[in-house]
Amino acid sequence: MDCDKCDREAVMHAAYSGAHLCDAHFCTSVEKRVRRRIRSDALVPSDASPENPQTWVVGLSGGKDSVVLTHILDETFGRDPRIDLVALTIHEGIEGYRDESLDACLELSEALEMRHEVVAYDDEFGVRMDDVVESDPMDMAACAYCGVFRRDLLERYADEFGADKLLTGHNLDDEAQTALMNFLEGDLEQMAKHFDASIGPFAAGDDDLRERPASDRFVPRAKPLRDVPEKEIALYAHLMDLPTHMAECPHASEAYRGEIQELLLELEENHPGTRHSIMAGYEELAALAAQRYRDDGTGADLTDCERCGSTTSGDVCRKCRLLEAL
Amino acid sequence: MQVTTEVVGDAVHEVSLRDDATYADLLAELGYSPHEVAVLVDGSPVPEDGTVTGDRVRVLRLIKGGGA
Repeated sequence: MDCDKCDREAVMHAAYSGAHLCDAHFCTSVEKRVRRRIRSDALVPSDASPENPQTWVVGLSGGKDSVVLTHILDETFGRDPRIDLVALTIHEGIEGYRDESLDACLELSEALEMRHEVVAYDDEFGVRMDDVVESDPMDMAACAYCGVFRRDLLERYADEFGADKLLTGHNLDDEAQTALMNFLEGDLEQMAKHFDASIGPFAAGDDDLRERPASDRFVPRAKPLRDVPEKEIALYAHLMDLPTHMAECPHASEAYRGEIQELLLELEENHPGTRHSIMAGYEELAALAAQRYRDDGTGADLTDCERCGSTTSGDVCRKCRLLEAL
Repeated sequence: MQVTTEVVGDAVHEVSLRDDATYADLLAELGYSPHEVAVLVDGSPVPEDGTVTGDRVRVLRLIKGGGA
């Protein structure tokens, strides 16, 4: 079967668009979608310049998503004096699993000559996820502890490195799952937070209501891969021969997300384009929810955690409460 | 038609298919969605809606598993 754009053999079929593409045209198509999202989310502000460059911290786990994101960002902005890229890897203390994926991170950052920082739960909090799952004082899934710790360190170190933005490798499947979970849980307020934290476009200066407001409290996050299906990210990594670590975390236990993932794969097979249409509708809905639920923008309901100083809505942040329980 | 299918890192299956079967049909026999794996023939990925040719394929699992 031939590529739609040339006479080479197609390597993939995107049922949602009908396209058959060869390796070269497929890889170009992935890169174009990522760059288009970077433009439409206005990630590069108009006042970024070689004298006043932006710093983007990229969460690099060594899995295919973050490796592809880091690679495409380097291809796009590696020589752009307006953007400084810093890769940040979090070591959770998971024997074998994270050590191997760290090798993939090191191989990539060395090949790209990109600044790369590694921070570990053990050094920062005195805990390792292998021990956390053993003691489990809150009777929760491993991911519930790990997500809180990871977000804390990504946020804290992004801030320390002077980041203007924190970029993560969430793909279309990840975001469509999150959207559907928020919808099925009936959680409009969570949709509003999701919009303002990571999926709303940055202000382009035209006063569009579908933009997120600037926050003094948090480093804003962005997800430039979120138009690309998970399989296509993996295929891109395979075809570009990027160093990735494919194994699944031995503690992975997000049962509900797994159920939603199965449901979405089945829907996508019977109704190609479902993930894209979920996200198109969800982004519009989340923008409306953000207008409805957004506070006055001053962050008046947020304070500093009395133990660690990070931003929280209570006296003590969730991370400090989990660490105390451990 | 008999196709020897190696699921990389797992098992080798002998799958019987109609002569005009597609790679998506082959995946359905094995219980995989085309959105979670790539089919490789002679080391190269192939579109899932293509007709199966040859008697050996490899299936590469690309995405982390769900709850199943």
